[in-house]
Amino acid sequence: MDEAIDVGACLQRWKEGDEAAAEELIRHLYPVISKIVRTHLPRRDDEKDLVQEVLMKTFAKLHQFKGDAPLSHWVSRLALTTCLDRLRAQKIRPEIRRADLTPDESEAFDAAWLSGSSPDATDAIGARDLVDKILASLSPEDRSLILMVDLEGRSLQEIAETLGWSISKIKMRLFRVRPQLRQMIRKLEESQ
Amino acid sequence: MNPNSKEDEKWQCLLQQSAPTFAGTAEPPYGFVTSILARLRTENGQQAEMERIGWRALLASLAALVIAVTVTLGMSYSDRGSEFEPGVRGFVQMENVQVS
Repeated sequence: MDEAIDVGACLQRWKEGDEAAAEELIRHLYPVISKIVRTHLPRRDDEKDLVQEVLMKTFAKLHQFKGDAPLSHWVSRLALTTCLDRLRAQKIRPEIRRADLTPDESEAFDAAWLSGSSPDATDAIGARDLVDKILASLSPEDRSLILMVDLEGRSLQEIAETLGWSISKIKMRLFRVRPQLRQMIRKLEESQ
Repeated sequence: MNPNSKEDEKWQCLLQQSAPTFAGTAEPPYGFVTSILARLRTENGQQAEMERIGWRALLASLAALVIAVTVTLGMSYSDRGSEFEPGVRGFVQMENVQVS
């Protein structure tokens, strides 16, 4: 990813006050940050604001970047921390019930058995809202952990590096969170 | 059969269905880069201004300190040899009190 532009040269030019270098860095980092924000924040949150916040933090802390890892990794971690801070500031919602679901979410829940069918945009949004509702009752860290494992298919090693946790801690958290997720789905199923 | 597999399968299906909404965008929206650059410019300007103000305040404090030290040392030098504290001596002179 970092090979697309010469990050080192861009950073140097930015330090010397070259605004074009800043623009190159913004365009280079935008897809990385956008993906993390979309994954780790609920769909209805203001994505643009948060991407902007992450980029401002990135430029404010660029002097701390040592260059021993790719810039995109360093920025990913910063973006994830910012998302977790935002989630922590939000109140954790209580467990959801079937009656709380909108018609789209309810439809997405029922359709989730038909694996293999390709969803249209409305189904995807309904399913996403439902996923957000289910994840909202977990802690911000557990929410991100589940998404990194189940959605992004990241290895435990990668997650350990991103979150700064040990692998045994990750396994322990997953062991604790899985039953919570199953119980929520079971409850939605039973109250159908 | 694993008793949890039904819930796990449901969860995986929901994630699979919602997958398109998790995809990021490659290009920033129109005006995004310009607004970030404007904010960076403002913040850099503010930071430079704060640094200037900080240096001025530091220099002013140092100058005040030097003046205070000079005055104190000067007074202390001029009072050397006197048997009264400066305030007491002033009182003695003002009231013309006989001290011996």
